[in-house]
Amino acid sequence: MSGHMKLVHALIAKSLAETILVATLAVAFYLSAFPPSFHGWGEVLPHNIAGWAVNQADPWERLEVQLFIDGKFVASAKADQSRPDVAAAGWAKDKWHGYQFNVSTLHGPSRHVARVYALCATKKGTQQTLQMVGDPIWFDVDNDGALHPLSDNIILFQRTP
Amino acid sequence: MTNESAKDQNSDRALAGWEIVSVVTSCLIAEWVVLAFVGNSKLIGAIPVTLAVALMVFSHSQRSESLKDIGFRWDNFLAAARLLVLPTIVAAGFMLLLAWFMRGRELSIAPLRLRFLTVPLWALFQQYALQGFINRRAQLAVGVGIKSILLVAIVFSLLHLPNPLLTGLTFAGGVIWAAVYQRAPNLFALALSHTAVSLVLALSMPTDLVYNLRVGLKYFG
Repeated sequence: MSGHMKLVHALIAKSLAETILVATLAVAFYLSAFPPSFHGWGEVLPHNIAGWAVNQADPWERLEVQLFIDGKFVASAKADQSRPDVAAAGWAKDKWHGYQFNVSTLHGPSRHVARVYALCATKKGTQQTLQMVGDPIWFDVDNDGALHPLSDNIILFQRTP
Repeated sequence: MTNESAKDQNSDRALAGWEIVSVVTSCLIAEWVVLAFVGNSKLIGAIPVTLAVALMVFSHSQRSESLKDIGFRWDNFLAAARLLVLPTIVAAGFMLLLAWFMRGRELSIAPLRLRFLTVPLWALFQQYALQGFINRRAQLAVGVGIKSILLVAIVFSLLHLPNPLLTGLTFAGGVIWAAVYQRAPNLFALALSHTAVSLVLALSMPTDLVYNLRVGLKYFG
């Protein structure tokens, strides 16, 4: 094999090694920043957005959750309220994974979407990410300020904004 | 020139170009990707750098380049130093003037740090990679002269993004050092000039302007 062919092979081998390195770093970063062990759910109550959030890799951890409505930060809370149904369904080892946000500042009639994110921080705290737990929660606010969940049909075909 | 030898020459030029791309890619991975994904991990950051050095060493051996060819030599040290003295003094003077102006017409010198002792070694390593490898491959790819000199300067400044001051200074430095190397290939003289300019820059410029000479993703924090 000529010297130039060896050099071509070395270039290809180096490119492959670097591709593998970058891919490995990207996957490892993604898994640590957005752990697949985070689960949760949220729903609309007459004056609250409530739900639960767990980290199955650390079942005793009480996650910090943040509520965003229409893309704007509203409030932050610990998911440490009683939710016996979560433990009963096997999502967590104990029942203390519930959260509840009081939503009384919205004026109706209006339509909104809420998203609840769990805060994930590295051990050193140098990197923090927000991972959405559950689906976006669509709801209407009536003239009295009460919240009403949207039906699936409305969510699919008529949602605004 | 026969068709065969013209084809060989073209493929050699392309190969030299890919060698430059490969080494630059390794540096960019170390500066941008590693820091973004794993923070300040020197161990992981060393992987792309080691791969680049391994490729450079392998390339020298495949192209039968000796240490003397690359520029690790003393016989032309004085010739190279003579070419470098004036540009180095002018560059240092320009930086002192800029520092004086940026500090509100006042000149103050930062305290010396122990890590400055490693600057000559770091400068020698950078000049080896930049001139001993990239300049030599640029000459193979686009020929001796202004094209290869500009290519070296662009590569050198690209690796100092997004630090605006360093990007500008390294482009200017890259042009001068690459031109000197093509006339008198001596890495020790270039490293001496590089060390002098780096120290003047680090000691005289306001920290917020040079931002501790940070480049790549580190520049942002």
